[in-house]
Amino acid sequence: MKRLLALLALCLAPAALAADTIKIALTGPYSGGSAPMGVSARDGSKLAIAEINAAGGIDVGGKKLKIEIIERDDEAKNDRGALIAQELASMPDLSGVIGSVNTGVVMAGDKYFQEKGITKIICPAAGSKSMTQWATPDGPKQLSIFRFAAHDGIQAAMVVEEAINRKLLKVALIHDDTNYGVSGRDDLLAQIDKQGKKLQVLTVEKFKIGDKDMTAQLLKAKAMGAQAILIWGIGPELAAVSNGMAKIGLKVPLIGGWTLSMSNYIDNAGQNANGTLMPQTFIELPISPRAKAFIDAYHKAYGVTRIPSPVSAAQGYDAVLIFAAAVRQARSTDSLKIRDALEDLKEPVKGVIATWRKPYSKWDPANVETHEAFRREQVVMGMVMDGRVVFGSEADKQRLAKEQQ
Amino acid sequence: MLKRLLLVRGAEVALFLALAALPLAVTSPYALGLLTLLAIYGILLIGLDVTVGYLGQVNLAQAAFLGLGAYAAGVMVTRYGAGIPLALFVAGGVATAVGALLALPALRLEGPQFALATLSFTALTTTALNELEWLTNGAQGLSLKLPPLLGHALSKREFYWLCMLGFAAVWLAMRNLLSSRWGRAFEALRDSPIATDAMGVGTYRHKVAGFAFGSGLGGLAGGLYALNFEYLQPHGFQYELTVILLLGVVLGGRKSLWGAFVGATLVALLPNLLSNRTLFLAFSAAGLAVAVVAGARGLLRRTLRPFQALSPVVATGALVAGGLAVQNTEDWRKAIFALMLFSVVVGLPEGLMGFAGQALARLFRVAPPPLPPPAPLDEVLPARRPDGSPLLVLTGLKRWFGGVRAVDGLDLTVRAGHVHGLIGPNGSGKSTVINVVSGLYAPTEGDMTLRGAPMPRGSLFQAARVGGARTFQNLQLFSGMTALENVMVALHGAYRVPLPLVCLGLGRAEERRAQAAALALLDFVGLLDQARTPARDLTYGAQRFLEIARALARRPEILVLDEPAAGLAHPDVVKQVELIRRIRERGVTVVLIEHHMDVVTQLCDVVTALDGGRKIAEGTPDEVKRHPKVIEAYLGAVEAAPAAG
Amino acid sequence: MPVSFIVQMAVSGALMGLVYALIAYGFQLTYATSKSLNFGQGELVMVSAFVTLSIMGTGLPYGVVVLLGLLFGAALGLVVERTGVRLALEQKSEGWILLTIIIGLFLFSFAENVWGRDDRPFPTPIPADPIHVLGVDVTGLELSVAAGVLAVMALVEAFKRLTLLGKAFEAVSADRDAGELMGISATRTVMLSYGLSGAVAALAGILVSPITTVGPTMASALVLKAFSVAAVALKKTGFGVVVVGLLLGALESLASFYVGSGWREAPGLLLRLLALAVRPTGVFGKAVIRKV
Repeated sequence: MKRLLALLALCLAPAALAADTIKIALTGPYSGGSAPMGVSARDGSKLAIAEINAAGGIDVGGKKLKIEIIERDDEAKNDRGALIAQELASMPDLSGVIGSVNTGVVMAGDKYFQEKGITKIICPAAGSKSMTQWATPDGPKQLSIFRFAAHDGIQAAMVVEEAINRKLLKVALIHDDTNYGVSGRDDLLAQIDKQGKKLQVLTVEKFKIGDKDMTAQLLKAKAMGAQAILIWGIGPELAAVSNGMAKIGLKVPLIGGWTLSMSNYIDNAGQNANGTLMPQTFIELPISPRAKAFIDAYHKAYGVTRIPSPVSAAQGYDAVLIFAAAVRQARSTDSLKIRDALEDLKEPVKGVIATWRKPYSKWDPANVETHEAFRREQVVMGMVMDGRVVFGSEADKQRLAKEQQ
Repeated sequence: MLKRLLLVRGAEVALFLALAALPLAVTSPYALGLLTLLAIYGILLIGLDVTVGYLGQVNLAQAAFLGLGAYAAGVMVTRYGAGIPLALFVAGGVATAVGALLALPALRLEGPQFALATLSFTALTTTALNELEWLTNGAQGLSLKLPPLLGHALSKREFYWLCMLGFAAVWLAMRNLLSSRWGRAFEALRDSPIATDAMGVGTYRHKVAGFAFGSGLGGLAGGLYALNFEYLQPHGFQYELTVILLLGVVLGGRKSLWGAFVGATLVALLPNLLSNRTLFLAFSAAGLAVAVVAGARGLLRRTLRPFQALSPVVATGALVAGGLAVQNTEDWRKAIFALMLFSVVVGLPEGLMGFAGQALARLFRVAPPPLPPPAPLDEVLPARRPDGSPLLVLTGLKRWFGGVRAVDGLDLTVRAGHVHGLIGPNGSGKSTVINVVSGLYAPTEGDMTLRGAPMPRGSLFQAARVGGARTFQNLQLFSGMTALENVMVALHGAYRVPLPLVCLGLGRAEERRAQAAALALLDFVGLLDQARTPARDLTYGAQRFLEIARALARRPEILVLDEPAAGLAHPDVVKQVELIRRIRERGVTVVLIEHHMDVVTQLCDVVTALDGGRKIAEGTPDEVKRHPKVIEAYLGAVEAAPAAG
Repeated sequence: MPVSFIVQMAVSGALMGLVYALIAYGFQLTYATSKSLNFGQGELVMVSAFVTLSIMGTGLPYGVVVLLGLLFGAALGLVVERTGVRLALEQKSEGWILLTIIIGLFLFSFAENVWGRDDRPFPTPIPADPIHVLGVDVTGLELSVAAGVLAVMALVEAFKRLTLLGKAFEAVSADRDAGELMGISATRTVMLSYGLSGAVAALAGILVSPITTVGPTMASALVLKAFSVAAVALKKTGFGVVVVGLLLGALESLASFYVGSGWREAPGLLLRLLALAVRPTGVFGKAVIRKV
């Protein structure tokens, strides 16, 4: 009897010790049209966290702390995002937040994190505004918000470059009526200007979320002789565009934002998606041992043969690794100390996407790039082929493989 | 008096004091954020309740007004540097104006058509907000910063107090509004829109005013919403939000300020309720218990049909079962909401507050405030001196319904001061004539003049305004209101205080005077002691008398009574004859449709007999009674008429 | 801008408009007997499409799968009638508006959780390649939509006009109590109309899914358009519904082209608001006499 009690006490003891954890929140849209991205990012992050915890946790000044996850679904709704941000910001011992897919949610909620000094890594939201909102003359001198994704500025530049390189000089722009689509349109137009106005924009068309028939917009593009369609949107509407193009016989390349790699585009467009190009930070192909390990682990852990949004998953994974490195360096779970460490990471972090060497630097309101991790070199053009995303060019494949050395 | 103050007002005061004091005890910014949202939703739901509860329509546009108000405030702050008071004023104002514009066409429609119109409006508003990028910044959203109030930057807590103040002010304003003629008008137009129009209270204009007011409140809530979140996007104000709001009103309880509060609390706290499994299970189990008890009670007392009693049990049972079985209650949010609402709509149609209110009313019986003494009759129904000249003249009046010629060429002259009888067998067109004159139908052909001037055609409301009043063959009382309130609705020229001042509570003196006037009329018809009885609980005879009292409140020059003695027992018939005599003594011209021949004989100066939509005889009662055509019409064959007594 | 393009746009739009018409037809069927309609009809379309998709996974022949899908739709329609509509009709209230909204909400959440929130492709034996007909490109799918819509409406209209049951529809709609006194069970007639309406909704889902993909939100936009069509042509004629649907679809396409793609929805909404203001019983309906 006494031995039984002692055994029981031993079993319960670890539970008592479990109070010594480091709390990280994961947020994003786990429902709705953006869900594939949100879920993949979360699952990628969870994979990294599981691996860290399996090894005992993060070493914080000599003591190993396991990561405790707090998960919140913002449903891609701004007011929900704001409430969640308020809730998380009011938690006394939260060390950091990783997540967010929708720029609107970021705009509505991040101010609460900044106010309370909670370190947030935006991942994988790419809308430029998420970071540029802080880069005003009367903006904060210290910023707790970081982004770990290839932002739209980079993506738009690549899309325009690709069109110029392939000599597709007459283009039509199509975008959706969300924040992402509209700011993408603005980014594209700005880049076309910046790159010497070599592209002629024949028409700018838009569609709404939920629209299934883009015939009118596409016919206009066809009538005006478009050689390529540049597109910015989220979700299944992109598939309707590809299908519409096939229907009216508009056989031109479709080039657009990274959301074209989502499973709900590829599956619903079927054969019509072949040849679509978009910037990607990660392609689901085993080009290196690290990439292979990650892909296999993801497939096994979540029982899938294809990652819904490989870019989101890889970014979610690497973001956790970088955050953990900052915690290690700061030797503390205090969010402000972690922020300082993040701004000055001394050790390189061997991630899935690349080996990260000092991804961030001290916040400078005049230069948003100080809190942006990605540069042009880490992004490639992906192409949809037969239901998967592959490299757009062999040169890009070699370049990315090298990044991971 | 004190007891009533304490119990009813006391609860309200306690509520607002508690809400105001809460942030002093609870410092978590998250909780404060929720409480602020609660205040905003409270205003929003009170506004929605005006159309859903008081006007009884399913309104799917309130989210759009929230959005309009929010953007109006946002634009005022960002573009024109407006301060808080101006921004809120513009927010409410824009929403009221747009609401009135929408109401004008939409409120001509009934039920489902109206719902569809408001649905379209919501979609159109979102599109407009999205497309007008130069004004609203479109899909990219509008960012604004909370401006200082009177030079002082508001803390989160102070902003919360501002929102609470708004909520309390709206609550008070609504209470004042609802206990005034406006509240009665809303109730009346639900019970009987026809009688409401016939008593000179425009159904349409009140519906429009009510809708505009409710929308304005939505806009005000929107202004606070914008100042709270400091970031707006068009897609935040769509159909889905509207459904949640609707459900908040229904769950909390329609036609109830407390109901709006309970609904707002539920809507604001729902996400939290769902993320905590134990809390959710407790809540669902409580709901199941209530459903079982209420269902059993209903079945035993036979007040509920089996479906009504059983389905809430099934729905709440599903909630409990689901709460235990399902992994993540958050994922099933909408289904949970749907099940909760289904239980309430079917099993507890009065909503939570309605149900609680009934229970509380049984526990605490509070005496209503005393009534003033009745006003002198001369003030209410001044005596006229009619001169016998032609008052109402119908020339060649025709009213056809397709192939049915209900009135087929009628010439009729009613002289001032007369009691003019209108008789004829069933289907002779008597009621149709009355319905045409009073404006229910427009004439197919022919003229109608009152004192020489042409009468308004086809509008009950317009006809009531020119000096006529009527009762109905099938009673059209406002059955939910008391006898006193029924008469008060119709009082002519008694209400002059405009809407905004009524909201501020400045209409009380006028109310007392109106009560006194109405009491005088009830006294006149012998119902003074039944003033507080709900109309539906009166005896049939009393109901008939009430309709007459109500018509008299119009101070009519001409009073039309459509079979007032129908179904009355003999003692009541006698009383009624006496009443009509007294009415005539006060100089009111009476047109009387009747089948009781003795009533006609005793009262009428002139009698017109109709058959097949045409006049077949006219003259004194005796002359008409003996007229062969009249006898043939009633009895169908030529027989020797019985000798007059 | 060559005329052929305008025609193409109008035709493509009009064919989508037929889908609105089909869903609107479902509204008309129930309105015809009970002056009520299912505000959650979109969810009915969607769930039927999902169920059909699942049945398809079992490998049965396409024709059988479609039939089963239609039967499911009819059954769901009956459920809606029993739980959301019958009580309100018996009490002569309009509580069915709220109740059908609630049922729709429940079905939506149910679908989200059972089938997931993603849009999925819907396999169909009908080819999706464009065919060139009279200078216009249409896909086999779009033509199948047109054929399905017209065939179903013709069938049901014939049934209504030629059989006694059709007369029963009209009787119950005109005066429920009088109908009952004449031996027509109002409840059974209303049940039948809701069953038919459910089957029609399922058909709409099956026809449209290959084009739009199946997802929880697939029908919400479609249903709003269908409301537009129904509001303009609510009473009586199936013919009216088809005409209005075609017009609306074409107008939307052209508005998107000429005014700007963001304003695509505008014709439908404006049309509805105007039509309701001018003629509350629908452009093809009849006015009603009140008796006091």
